[in-house]
Amino acid sequence: MTLEKLRRIDETKIEIPRDYKPGMRVAGIIYVDEVLEKELETQSIDQVANVATLPGIVKTSMAMPDIHTGYGFAIGGVAAFDLKEGIVSPGGVGYDINCGVRLLRSNLMREALLPRLKDLVGILYNEIPSGVGSKGKIRLMPDSEKQLLLKGARWAVEQGYGDASDLERIESGGCIDGADPDLISKKAYERGRAQQGTLGSGNHFLEIQYVDEIYDEKVANALGLFKDQITVMIHTGSRGFGHQVCTDFLEVMERAVSKYNIELPDKELACAPYNSSEAQDYLSAMRAAANYAWANRQCIMHWTREAFLKFLGTTPGELGMSLIYDVAHNVAKIEDHIVNGKKKKLVVHRKGATRAFPPGHPELPDVYKNIGQPVLIPGDMGRASFVLIGTEKAMQETFGSTCHGAGRVMSRHQAIKRAKGRAIWREMEDKGIIVRSAGRGTLAEEMSEAYKDISDVVDVVHNAGISKKIVKLRPIGVIKG
Amino acid sequence: MKKFEVLDISGDAGIKAYGKSIEEAFVNAAIGMYSLITDLNDIKGKNTIEVSIESHSLEGLLVSWLNELIFQFDTYGFIGKKIVIQGIEDKKVVANISGEEFDPERHERKLLIKAATYHRLRVEKVRDVWEIDVIFDI
Repeated sequence: MTLEKLRRIDETKIEIPRDYKPGMRVAGIIYVDEVLEKELETQSIDQVANVATLPGIVKTSMAMPDIHTGYGFAIGGVAAFDLKEGIVSPGGVGYDINCGVRLLRSNLMREALLPRLKDLVGILYNEIPSGVGSKGKIRLMPDSEKQLLLKGARWAVEQGYGDASDLERIESGGCIDGADPDLISKKAYERGRAQQGTLGSGNHFLEIQYVDEIYDEKVANALGLFKDQITVMIHTGSRGFGHQVCTDFLEVMERAVSKYNIELPDKELACAPYNSSEAQDYLSAMRAAANYAWANRQCIMHWTREAFLKFLGTTPGELGMSLIYDVAHNVAKIEDHIVNGKKKKLVVHRKGATRAFPPGHPELPDVYKNIGQPVLIPGDMGRASFVLIGTEKAMQETFGSTCHGAGRVMSRHQAIKRAKGRAIWREMEDKGIIVRSAGRGTLAEEMSEAYKDISDVVDVVHNAGISKKIVKLRPIGVIKG
Repeated sequence: MKKFEVLDISGDAGIKAYGKSIEEAFVNAAIGMYSLITDLNDIKGKNTIEVSIESHSLEGLLVSWLNELIFQFDTYGFIGKKIVIQGIEDKKVVANISGEEFDPERHERKLLIKAATYHRLRVEKVRDVWEIDVIFDI
């Protein structure tokens, strides 16, 4: 196991050869250019190699340029497994099941909003529950929680949060079929009861942004995006509900590992054969958590839209605030992919990676059939976020996947130390960004320097051809937990 | 003897806890974890809850123990300040925790902890002192 064994394939990717460590069934590939390669952590490289040892892995164990060390699987990891010989692993999805991003467009222009921005950020901060110990406005009774787990975003729409037309602009229509509410523990139900419609904390956010740069006029147009237009981005997941599902099933999987005699280089890779009851039960529970997350982002979007309408005293038609798309970046899905020239069903794990399907893909809704799937990549709160589009090359190389964000370079502690004596909110305000945060330390932990530059990350996936840059968005109002 | 220290790790946070007994180390790991969530000086021992956890291994017991406290906090807002563990036997822990309901108006909001993980997990007796390393998903 030596780093000298890593081999650069081309300017956007390096290979971890099969002899990097014993037991690797396939090679590993990390999408990084020479700039980001310098920031690679040895431990995260090892994790990509560890995933390559898992039974039934297809083609390669992959990681995107925002790779950093996770638990078992690296964050930024993509791995697909054969349904006959392969496995399913909760560690390949992560604790925050269906953590994801949604983007809203509007008819508002940046200059028109700027004079009133501070008040609007204050109102949104009050309207959207966020931060440690915050309680949502929704209390789920057991029956309605079950319905929510089965229906996802559709449940939210039925409760009056948003429109039915939103659903086609959500990955998987805002609901993965095959969720089984009976496989959810009492604890997960309890934990999820008061957290629907809450943002959470850490890197989760709600941002008011504007379109700063357009790279592809035609696709931007088709998405309804234009220069200096106001957009809103929401980044959150399945909250305590999903965390509990993951915690519950890691225990189940740990027992499964000895039951099925699976040899693992790392305990956090705990998994079970795809066809086992353990794996099938996890997938059913994971789908319920994914649906919880889609309902969550739907509720938060609805309150955001209401707050804009009320604050600006305008009509829905005039505001034109509608959903562009919603992507999951922590999820495992059954998808069709071409392997050795043959169509095959695989279970694709994306942990900190975004689906990036090309134009014409059968899973895309009619509105995006011709242009491809919008890919939403949030950056840190001070720099930028991006909209990309899925490509055919992603289907060929990465099971239709791309990066998901910036990826940290500094620990929270390091960031807090670096921020000592500085008023991060004022530094942000000087840059024209109004921030509100529930936690005192959050802003220091989340400052720009703590992250890789999102532009570098996005350039790698763009240059590699596994997704294509469409627009750059810049934040002007940020709400953090 | 130091009770615990914060472990610095990219992206997340951990606790290194010590104890003359395994019970004391479990208590200190839990107090260390609570201190990542809020400033414990502001928490009062208004009410007491009892938790009882079993597992198949000592490491598993520690992770389940901390995950139970995370569950109690994330679900009911209960945050502890003082913990008494009767004893750890047969991979079972029974504890009484006194604390109160978290109030974002009065209590500092620090980290939102999703779970205790097996990542770099260590529960070990080094000479006479029990040491615990545990990393949390934030």
